[in-house]
Formats: sequence, structure tokens, C-alpha cells
Amino acid sequence: MGHGIGESGVLTPAHRVDCAAVGMADMTEPGALERLLGEIVVAGGTDAPQRICAACVAALPVDRAALTLMSGADRQQPLWASDTVARELDELQFSLGEGPCVEAFVGRHPVLVPDLTETGDDRWPMFAAAARRTPVRALFVLPLQAGAITIGVLDLYRDTPGMLKPDELCGALRAADAAMWTLLGLEENVTNHGEADGHGPTSVDGQQPGSELHRLEVYQATGMILEQMQVTAEVALSALRANAFANDRTILEVARDVVARRLRFDKEKP
Amino acid sequence: MSAEQVNRDQALAKAFVTLADTLVADYDVIDVLHQLTLECVALLRVDAAGLLLSDQRGTLQITAASTERARVVELFQLQSDEGPCLDCFRTSRPIAAPDLRERSDWPRFSAHTLASGYRSVHALPMRLRSETIGALNLFRVEPGALEPEELQIAQALADVATIGILQERSIRRREVVAEQLQVALNSRVIIEQAKGVLAERGQLDMDRAFQLIRGYARSTNQLLSVVALSIVDGTTTAEALVRPLDGSTPP
Repeated sequence: MGHGIGESGVLTPAHRVDCAAVGMADMTEPGALERLLGEIVVAGGTDAPQRICAACVAALPVDRAALTLMSGADRQQPLWASDTVARELDELQFSLGEGPCVEAFVGRHPVLVPDLTETGDDRWPMFAAAARRTPVRALFVLPLQAGAITIGVLDLYRDTPGMLKPDELCGALRAADAAMWTLLGLEENVTNHGEADGHGPTSVDGQQPGSELHRLEVYQATGMILEQMQVTAEVALSALRANAFANDRTILEVARDVVARRLRFDKEKP
Repeated sequence: MSAEQVNRDQALAKAFVTLADTLVADYDVIDVLHQLTLECVALLRVDAAGLLLSDQRGTLQITAASTERARVVELFQLQSDEGPCLDCFRTSRPIAAPDLRERSDWPRFSAHTLASGYRSVHALPMRLRSETIGALNLFRVEPGALEPEELQIAQALADVATIGILQERSIRRREVVAEQLQVALNSRVIIEQAKGVLAERGQLDMDRAFQLIRGYARSTNQLLSVVALSIVDGTTTAEALVRPLDGSTPP
């Protein structure tokens, strides 16, 4: 699949928290992760997966991160891994056909494992055994999803056992939203107007990254556009987003017009 | 005991028996929550009921409502910013606003709610031990507080909803609570997407679209979320759902 994303990156541990390299300020201050994710969503571009993974490692109590596009339990495209361990754990699951990524994708929910040694062997026998041979002791896999749309997973790995605190889980979920938002439409080659040449949306209006994903009107409009264009839900949401970008409007504004039947996305005129 | 009291006790017993029956079988979480909001309206002196869940990103999301009418749903949705539900969720305590005209703490919420024809609002927390996952929100057209007995029933219904979402009351692990909460929230999103598909295909309003999906799920003995997903991915065609409806409607 040629969608312009480079090979999985491999960073040595020493580089993992090199904040300056990915343009990060002090990531320990409150709200720093949200702000950075907002910037990444606005900037878009092919280095977004790398930047999102780096932001998670810097701001959350996790040591490694990876982003993978998925179009089926056995069809995936690794986009970025923060280091070799993350990349190998990621690839292992897909070669085994079992593990938290597959479970999160198929089950459409996060898979949160605060202590790998406590995982029952009936859950992912081969993956758990292999994972225990790495330094990783806890893992948190967040699906990149909105309802029926699931485009991949964000994997966060931690070398010490322990659950994410509520605000950390909030940060992880928002990182997954930001990844969803940034990667949406990539697989379908839907043009995200302006993104490639750096003219994304001009501001995020103080919104949390991807927060517009979570509005009833956006979900409903996605369903209506799907029916109008006779496309998948993912393409419909991409089209909604592209229209908002092209007309310099918020996605919610466009979605409300669609639901109120003031705007249509027909086959001829996407 | 008055006849009215006897009637309500019977209705109450029936409601809980039905819910208990549902929760031991393979059930759809959104369907159960929707049923609970309908029971609130049937059993209590309230005119609309909604369940809001924390999305774990700092926002409350409407997950079930006794009516899908856009104007009412918006009242629930408004409370991601301010309102009794948000206060109830944050404090884990019930909030009663018997007359919104006499409350000044939620100016935006109160203005919209009064404009929509509701005077009184109650909110009850959905708790599992130390964790609060959301709130049950009750609207009344008439001003006035609910009686203690009614609030007890409402809280019991909210507790059933909590158990329904988390699948079991024995859950002790926070990560399982978090996973189940996201399942419920995402199921709701799929239903919204399916409503959009049907609304477009049949030129229906969202309330009608929801009724159609729910009716189809019941008549074909499928889970609501399974039907919704099959509508969005195209394996259940919108025509299959809309056509019988058209046929049953006189011209």
C-alpha cells in the first residue's frame, strides 16, 4: 500500500525522550499533551505518526509506542514504532494472529493490561509468552475508531507494571483520537485538501484534538453521507472532514448542515 | 394502599423482573439502557430521561434517551459544559433542581431547558464502588421535586444501568471498567451512524430512524448493535428496513 508513510522508525532508547527533536516543550506540565496533539492534527503530514508516538512516550508513563493501520484482523500496515521492542511486539501479534492489537481491533474497545504476568494464558498464549521475554510489563492498546469505523491501533508499552491513572488514560484516548483524525482517509487516498502542502485547518479553536469526532451530529452526518455517496463510513467521514477543511469551517458546522439537509454529498459532487 | 399505589408497585415489579431477565441473557447494552430510560418515564412522574456516560476524555456523552427527538437529545448533550448532570457526575451525589426558574448556577442549560418546555431536573449518579461512570438525568414539564420513594426507584434503575454496562457487579479492576465503558460509548456511535444512513435513505427524522432499527432488531431477534453495524457496513440494506415501513404506512 503506497500512502507515503516511511518505514517503521527505529529510535534508540537514548533518543526516545529527545523532546527537542519532535518540537516538544516541557511535557510534564498539565495540558501539554493536549496542546501538542492539537498542533500535530493541525499540521498533519507524513511525520504525524512519529510525532504522536513521541508525544505519548514523553507525556505518559509509557516507554514505547507504535501506530499501526489495520483493515482487518490479519491486514495491517505498521506506520511507526518508537523502538525495536515496540516494532517487534507489534509485528509478532500480526504474525501470530493474536494479541491485544487484534483484540482491540476486532472487539472495538481499548485493551488495557496493567500487568502482563497476570494475564491468563488462555487470552493470548503465544503472544503473552513472547512478550514476557521483553522488558515490557504493561500494555495499553487503543483502537483508532469512531463507531463502525476502525482504522488501526495505538499501542503503548510500559516496562513497569501499573494501570494508567484516569488523566493518563484520558491522554492516551486523546492521542488515539488525534491519530484517527490525522490518518483518516489515508488508506482510501481521499484528498485531505491542503494538508500535503501544509495548509491544514488554520486553527483548532481551542478544541481538544479530535473532539469533534465525538458529536452526535458528526456520527449522524457520516451515516447520511455514506448513503448519499454510496461509500464506506470511513470514506464518508473523510469526505466530511475534507469539505470542512476546504471551506475553512469546523467539522461540526458542516455536519449540522448535512443533518439539517442543507448540504448534500452526492456521487457526482463529493 | 391506594389503587394508584398498587398499580405502580405492580408496574415496578414487572419492570425489574424484565430487566433481570434481560441481564442474564445475551443482551445489547444500548437496548437495555434505552429500556431503562423508558421505564423511568413510565414509573416516575418524569417526562424525559437520559443516561450520560463519561467518555474518559473529560466529557459526558448521551448514551440512551427515552426519546431521540433532536431538541431533547440536545438538552442532554448540552450538559457536557454545564448542568445538573455534570455536577452530579463530578460530586457523585444526586442533584435536584425542582424549579429551574429559581436556579442561577447553570444559565445556559436552564435557558435552553426552559425554552424546551421543562421546568424541573433531577440527576442521579451511576456508581460502582468508588468510581462514578455517568449519571441518570430526569426532566419534568411541571415544577416540583420528586418524592424520596421516586428517587429511590430512580437510583435503583441507575444502578441496574451501571451493572448492565459493566456486565457484572463484581468487577474490581479499573481497567475492565474502562474497557466496558468504551464498548458502550462506541455502540452508541454505531447506532448514530446507522440512524444517519436510514434517515437519508428513507428521508426520516432521527427519532423515526432509531425506532426502525430497534423494531427491526426485535422482529428479527438480533442485538441492536449488530443490526446497526450491518446497516453501516451495508450488509443489511437500508431498503430492507425502510420498505416494510413504507408498506405499512397508508398513503
